[in-house]
Amino acid sequence: MATLHLVRKSAFNSQELLQCCQVLTSLDILILIDDGCYNLNHDLLADIKEIISVKHIKVIKHHAAARGQYVPKDIERISMSDLVSLTFETENVITWQ
Amino acid sequence: MANKVLAILNSKAPYSSTFGKDSLDIALIFGSYEQGVSLFFQGEGVFQLIPNQDGQQLSMKDYLKTFSAFEFYDIEDIYVCLESLQERKLSNAFHIEKVNILPAKEFAAKLKQHDCILRF
Repeated sequence: MATLHLVRKSAFNSQELLQCCQVLTSLDILILIDDGCYNLNHDLLADIKEIISVKHIKVIKHHAAARGQYVPKDIERISMSDLVSLTFETENVITWQ
Repeated sequence: MANKVLAILNSKAPYSSTFGKDSLDIALIFGSYEQGVSLFFQGEGVFQLIPNQDGQQLSMKDYLKTFSAFEFYDIEDIYVCLESLQERKLSNAFHIEKVNILPAKEFAAKLKQHDCILRF
């Protein structure tokens, strides 16, 4: 049972990513979207990589670029249509906002 | 507010709300009436200063580009909180010049020197 997690808030000023981290399980997929892109630089990402494969951590390409955020090589940059496809590949979707 | 000085405290990231744009409008209005204005950036507000941003990619008017007009409005006192930068692992590379980076205590003391403070 894989769940798709859409995180839209920065963990520097909100609890959403931490709470997502607490319910994350190994097959889940995490998408950083909108201000969630700022989490690329947050320490919680290291904890998340302990729970799910780094291949399951993705970021919306133009959202990160608009915010001048550097995307590490091991994190996949995807488009909005990729995101829509992913919603069909998982049983559940949770938006953290 | 003849010789009083206004402080505008920015605490929000640029694109997910209109706070940043609204605060810029206020700053430019006060500047155009030659009222003293200082800008403060704290917390997520520091994300408004980082370089290489491009609001066009979100189909939004990129108000950050207007920051370069500050000197024409005599807005020269710009302060950013050092701890907020460090927390977010940001360097002191900004898309505008003459930004004063202050440790939290000095940042607070500087803010207190102002007659009126608006937080966005």
